[in-house]
Amino acid sequence: MTNYVELHASSAFSFLESASAPEDLIQRAVDLEMSAMALLDRNGIYGAAQFHLHAKRNGIRAHIGAEVAVSNFGTRLTPPAWLPHQNIPEPVRLPLLCETREGYQNLCQLISTFKLREAQKDEGAAKLDDLYSYAQGLVCLTGGDEGPLAAALMRGGEQAGCKVVDQLISIFGRENVYIELQRHQEREGEWRNQAALRIANSLGLPVLATNGVRYATPYDREVLDVFTAIRSGTPLDKAGRLLTQNSQRYIRSSAEMDHLFRDIPQAVEQTAALSSRLQFELTSLGYEFPRYPLPDGGTMDEFLRRRVEEGLKHRYGHKISSLKVRAKKQAEHELALIAKLGFAGYFLIVWDIVQFCRGNGILIQGRGSAANSIVCYVLEISAIDPVGKGLLFERFLSERRGEWPDIDLDLPSEEKRERVIQYVYRRYGELGAAMTANVITYRGKSAAREVGKALGFDEDSLARLSSLVSQWEWRDKSDTMAHSFRNAGFDLNHPRIAKYLELCMRVQGLPRHLGQHSGGMVICQGALNKVLPLERASMPGRTVVQWDKEDCAELGIIKIDLLGLGMMAVLDDCMKLISEHYGSHVSLANLPEDDEVYRTLQQADTVGMFQVESRAQMASLPLNYPKKFYDLIVQVAIIRPGPIVGKMMHPYMRRRQGKEEVTYPVPILEPVLKRTLGVPLFQEQLLRMAMTVANFSGDEAEELRRAVGMRRSWERMKNIEGKLRAGMSANGIATDIQDTIVENVSSFALYGFPESHAASFALLAYASAYFKVKYLAAFACAILNNQPMGFYAPAVIVKDAQRHGLRVKPIDVQKSDWPCTIEQEADGSPLLRLGLGYAKGLRQQAAESLVQSRREHGPFSSVEDLAARVPLLNPREFTLLANTGAMNSLKGVLHRRDALWQVERAGKPEGPLLHSLREPQATEAAASPLSQMSTGERLAADYAETGLTLGPHPMHYRRAELQRRHKVLSAAELRHVKNGQYVRAAGCVIARQRPGTAKGFIFLSMEDETGIANVIVTPSLYDQDRLAVTRSRFLLVEGPLQSQDGVIHIRARRLTPLGDQALALRSHDFH
Amino acid sequence: MELNTIASVVVLERARSEEDSARASLLECAGRFSPAIEERSSDTAFLCVLDITGTDKYCGPPSILGRALLDAVKAIGVQACVAVADNLHAAICIARGNATSQYPIVVRPGEERAALASLPLTVLDLTEGQLETFSRWGIRSLGMLAALPNEQLISRLGQQGNKLQQLASGTWQHHFVPLEQAFTLHESIELDSPVEASESLLFLVGAILERLILRATNRVLALLSVTITLSIEGGGSHSRTVRTAVACNDRQLWLKLIYLDLEAHPPNRAVLALHMTAEHGPVKKVQLGLFSAQLPDIPKLDITLARIQAIVGEGCVGSPVLLDTHKPDSFAVKPFAVSLGRAPRNPPAARAAPLAAIRQLRPPEATTVTLCNSRPTAFYFRKSRYRVEQAYGPWHASGDWWSDSPWQYGSWDVIARSDANALLCCNLVNHLSRNSWEVAALYD
Repeated sequence: MTNYVELHASSAFSFLESASAPEDLIQRAVDLEMSAMALLDRNGIYGAAQFHLHAKRNGIRAHIGAEVAVSNFGTRLTPPAWLPHQNIPEPVRLPLLCETREGYQNLCQLISTFKLREAQKDEGAAKLDDLYSYAQGLVCLTGGDEGPLAAALMRGGEQAGCKVVDQLISIFGRENVYIELQRHQEREGEWRNQAALRIANSLGLPVLATNGVRYATPYDREVLDVFTAIRSGTPLDKAGRLLTQNSQRYIRSSAEMDHLFRDIPQAVEQTAALSSRLQFELTSLGYEFPRYPLPDGGTMDEFLRRRVEEGLKHRYGHKISSLKVRAKKQAEHELALIAKLGFAGYFLIVWDIVQFCRGNGILIQGRGSAANSIVCYVLEISAIDPVGKGLLFERFLSERRGEWPDIDLDLPSEEKRERVIQYVYRRYGELGAAMTANVITYRGKSAAREVGKALGFDEDSLARLSSLVSQWEWRDKSDTMAHSFRNAGFDLNHPRIAKYLELCMRVQGLPRHLGQHSGGMVICQGALNKVLPLERASMPGRTVVQWDKEDCAELGIIKIDLLGLGMMAVLDDCMKLISEHYGSHVSLANLPEDDEVYRTLQQADTVGMFQVESRAQMASLPLNYPKKFYDLIVQVAIIRPGPIVGKMMHPYMRRRQGKEEVTYPVPILEPVLKRTLGVPLFQEQLLRMAMTVANFSGDEAEELRRAVGMRRSWERMKNIEGKLRAGMSANGIATDIQDTIVENVSSFALYGFPESHAASFALLAYASAYFKVKYLAAFACAILNNQPMGFYAPAVIVKDAQRHGLRVKPIDVQKSDWPCTIEQEADGSPLLRLGLGYAKGLRQQAAESLVQSRREHGPFSSVEDLAARVPLLNPREFTLLANTGAMNSLKGVLHRRDALWQVERAGKPEGPLLHSLREPQATEAAASPLSQMSTGERLAADYAETGLTLGPHPMHYRRAELQRRHKVLSAAELRHVKNGQYVRAAGCVIARQRPGTAKGFIFLSMEDETGIANVIVTPSLYDQDRLAVTRSRFLLVEGPLQSQDGVIHIRARRLTPLGDQALALRSHDFH
Repeated sequence: MELNTIASVVVLERARSEEDSARASLLECAGRFSPAIEERSSDTAFLCVLDITGTDKYCGPPSILGRALLDAVKAIGVQACVAVADNLHAAICIARGNATSQYPIVVRPGEERAALASLPLTVLDLTEGQLETFSRWGIRSLGMLAALPNEQLISRLGQQGNKLQQLASGTWQHHFVPLEQAFTLHESIELDSPVEASESLLFLVGAILERLILRATNRVLALLSVTITLSIEGGGSHSRTVRTAVACNDRQLWLKLIYLDLEAHPPNRAVLALHMTAEHGPVKKVQLGLFSAQLPDIPKLDITLARIQAIVGEGCVGSPVLLDTHKPDSFAVKPFAVSLGRAPRNPPAARAAPLAAIRQLRPPEATTVTLCNSRPTAFYFRKSRYRVEQAYGPWHASGDWWSDSPWQYGSWDVIARSDANALLCCNLVNHLSRNSWEVAALYD
């Protein structure tokens, strides 16, 4: 038996043209004892990283290549014109294999060249000139059905075939061209093989057997057919010749290939020979992080040292203090290590981005482990003083770990973040920087919809099914796909339906298409297009690499995360408003510790505050009772799936309240866990624990950290668990303690939170709390101007601000700008004016034209004047403004209905015939024929047009009746009720949550005119009364009150929907 | 509403046919009181207006007529409301606004506005936009709408506003458009005694056809299809439909087609009655364009096709078309049709290279095959045994795996020699799903 190597396989990363994931291909190769395999995906190396990593783990050599579309070799083989078919012309694809690193770099450049030639995201195709430019180091096959030789043979017979092969020889060189033979047991293919053999003989070229693999096993052909149907937008029943003729394009064993090519044995033998010739593997990418371009020609270390010295003065002042001395000493230590590890360039590049932001008025803050570094602090990358706060630098950078530092930068979302991204593109060139990709894979909904379409199910059934695929984060046993199918009325005993379900399950997790990561950028010293192919993203002005951030990290490519964070925009706006309206200058780096702020946090009065406003956070704040900044760091980190699943949240809280003694699993862990009262909460502690209890080396700890930080880490985690247990056993740690430690470690695999990251978030949380407490008008204004964000709808934010004493004024065409603004009361205190942007449906352009007219020509004198001066406003917008009450301050307008009556007339002058006879509206009576809106009507209009009301809360109007009829208590009254007492409460549901960690329990937040009440719904009550839980806007809840340590919940026993009087209120549902 | 919140929801389909028969009954019922009926039904309710001018002589005053009409409607099992007014729209609005009233509502002339005042705006046929505007204005009833200052309303809503206000006041005038029956071609004849001979039947058919053609010609229409339904002795009926490629009024042609069809599908018993209905279409064109060839003589073509079909069976006459599938030997028969597009100017050029001729066996001939290492070595064909000298294959094809009828073939091209030294080049097909072999084709 020969040692056959499959040198022409493609994976599901050929996006709907192949059906198996790279790991499945490798698994099949392992099963067949194949020594190597080559992956050639369509126009890219999208799956190469995963293919390489899986191959490496299984001891298989992974050859890398691609099938590259070439426009000059004509169109791909299609059925002859006399046969009915729907194949559309596509350029042929040339299979290329990388022999050397130069070949790989050329392949990346070749793909980047034709991809970037397109004006927008597109497949693209290479030209002959491109092939000539980037041929070195590449081996070319003549391809199968999709290749140039088959197309030429069909087009012009052997003569044309010879011509194409000659052309390939002239491009790649005689020794780098192989005549490829594929036998899919199709009659038409065999005559092309015979012709190819004759061409190979005449030109003296070697022949190479491949199977043009599109899936791992014959069974997977079904998935490929489904993908073909999806790709062509045709149901399987009508796809006809678009589908494959048989199931032969799987990975064949050596024995099968030997049998199939028994008449041409050299074709199979050649595969092993070519495989041994292909030296390149992804282990040596040639990636180098960019050096910082120095202005004065010194070294980067010197330049960095100078920046750090300047920063020290800026952050700590000129005076000598003990803090400054400690900071200086720490900076020296860090600079020495940075110089030793050669990371100065990286710090300077991040510093450069920060400088750009500072220079352009863009708030920026580093998050992640950067917060542990004094260098990052003085370079203004992070705003946390690690010396003052006692954070450990080693968690950021360690000589032993030898890894690149990880700095994530938070930016105000949208436009400002885009400016920074475009700056990086400009700075490092289009070929020097790109976004990381985000591979969109099939999930329950998308699989159900697209597979169903391919199988020809009608739209209504598919829509019904999609809506039933569970949305909640928590899934109980009934939330399976089969359950959703049954609920949608599909009979699973029907063979077609059963097949549908089976196919839905099989396509789950397979790639659908490539998107871009929200903020991950890759930067390269040389041209990035030599390291990875680049292509256009759907967003104009963006390019994207072909790997996602995890693939990049696995292969040592460093990314900088430029993340959009809504709260950054809020804080940015907030600081500007404070400076403008309060005359104070505040900065994130020097916010004072304030007791009033901590008191607010202790009372969980946190609507709108960053990270601490969720229901779960509110429930735990009174228990944690934060008194200083470190408590807030813990608070941010503790309400996470990691600590909750790892059962660390409750022990910490009990210890925090002094209800439980502080102990340590083993005494040697005391230094590691002391700050968190013996309970491991942070990723860094996990690292230290492993090093302490299991004698892990820096490298092993690093492997552990990577395993817990990655999504695809289950397999690696299992291997590491063995090592961890062995290490602990060696240190004489008992098995039950080992179990506890392993459980702690495993729970972090989900969402472990680094302490430094928590510190960065805690700073934003503190800043938001500080601004809300001290500068409520500015904070409310900024948060309303940056919607949607956070946990609560604007209606809740406004009501909360009002309860805290802020006066909020309605939209007014005479006063409002597009955003919300701050005005001064007569006594000088600030009040909030709603912006025109809150009138739902009003175009920004029209609103700005209104504001401009008002600024230039003064207030509007009447509705007619407004219509005349702002012609951009359309009738619908006029009605909208009148209905919100925004015109009530205009002269001659009595009330909203009057404005509505007038706007219908405004802007409609009499025709020219009557114009001279009378002035517009001159004959109309001064009094409006319409009556004023009732309270209910006004409330309905408020919610319909702006989504919020400034008048009393809707519950206010029903309070008396509810109190009389049902003895319903308000949220404020609940605070004075004893634990266990049976109560009734009612309110507007503002948030629903079914967290993955809560075993199916649902948490509702209900707002009334006095505050927010929390409700717990058991899974059984949910099953009993699903509509009330998921759909009702206003609910009457009854059940025993649970009041412990200042945390109040109603454990719902009964739910009654209250009529919502047609109010279109929205809740934020978190799944 | 999310379906997952409710265990089992049964969606009842709307019964259109029942609605149609109820509508016919209601119109018939109304026709007993007045011949002038205008139908004003919406998608969700039946509504008709009767012009009862001058009916008081035989139906009594409006209140009596209304009562009688309501009783008549109730008698056929339909709940209804009857309103009588001088103004058509006022009557409609009042009927709509009092859908559950048990008694007829009679509005005296001049009192329409008062009668309408309390009704909601929804009784008017308002557009969504108008409804929204009135809702914003707080106008909820016809009385409130009628009370708005007319000129100011017109300056806001235009003449539509004026119309709505007059409708709300019961003063909008209406031109009555009585219901007319749709044009249908239907003729029946009942026979005095049962008829068996087809010639006698054709005599009657000819007479009816003449009437149908005359009625169609009067409206510049032609017959597209004729359905003949024979009521036969002992109950039951026998129905046949004949159609031509292009609508035509040639009586002889129709007669011939019906004759051929009845001859091929005669009724099995004597005929008691004859019903004929015809679909109509535009009159035929002989030539589709100045530069197009004249169409074939339709009568001759249709008669020829009908004759062939009578011999070979339905669905077996037409042009064969290949299907878009990998399944071997897949084709369908498409009825002949007049192509309105241009014929391709350049038909595909004939191949220069000679191709081997293949003779497809239809149906394929079953065979038994001897295999060695999964390759055919011998087989029987037409009572002779053949030894395989060369075998090329297997060529695999499979598909329709998602359907009720998946298929999977393996086929071999073989050169074989019989015991009598006769050479045979043929294609052997193995149906893998049922493991049977066939000789599917012979190579020349």
